[in-house]
Amino acid sequence: MSSLTRTQVLGLYKQFIKNANNFNDYNFKNYFLRRTRASFRENRDVKDQEKLNLLYTNALKDLGVLKRQSLISQMYTFDKLVVEPLKTEHE
Amino acid sequence: MFKSVFRPCAAVAKNARMTLPVRNSILMPQMMVSPIRFYSATTDRNEITQRVVDVIKAFDRTNASADISSKTLFHKDLGLDSLDTVELLVAIEEDFDIQFPDKVADELKGVEDTVEWIANHPESE
Repeated sequence: MSSLTRTQVLGLYKQFIKNANNFNDYNFKNYFLRRTRASFRENRDVKDQEKLNLLYTNALKDLGVLKRQSLISQMYTFDKLVVEPLKTEHE
Repeated sequence: MFKSVFRPCAAVAKNARMTLPVRNSILMPQMMVSPIRFYSATTDRNEITQRVVDVIKAFDRTNASADISSKTLFHKDLGLDSLDTVELLVAIEEDFDIQFPDKVADELKGVEDTVEWIANHPESE
């Protein structure tokens, strides 16, 4: 596997954020946003190419899970929580 | 006598109201985005700048939300790191219903670059 570029990692981060935003359920959505931010920040200083590749491969698997689960989440409706902002058209 | 005529009408009207295009927001699934897109409406640079600035103001991790101009740089003036910048660009993408390619996203350093790119790609995917 060739060395990872900054653009690739940022692209991966973007994919995670976008897919997490697709969740209908507030709790799931924010959990995945939080987890994505935390794990990318935790590994931001990793320089070892081997470790980076391992992290990247695992992240791709996680992204697959995230994509599938967000699709499943869209098949169900969830009650809005009190902490969620009202729909913008009501403002 | 007319009741049977009017009642279906009312039902139709109700349905029509429910399918009215709704502004896209983070909470809305993508499929509820209005199918009508006025491409020419967003080519005015001042208007785009205003919308971009509004999105940045709504973004909760900026430290200088008071004075954002077209010269504002994400990293230098707003204190965003590369990951925060990606999130901000996702928010802008959702607002404008566009996609920044990964290569471009890395090049966008400030409001001016972003507005310029959006203005040059009115119907980008």
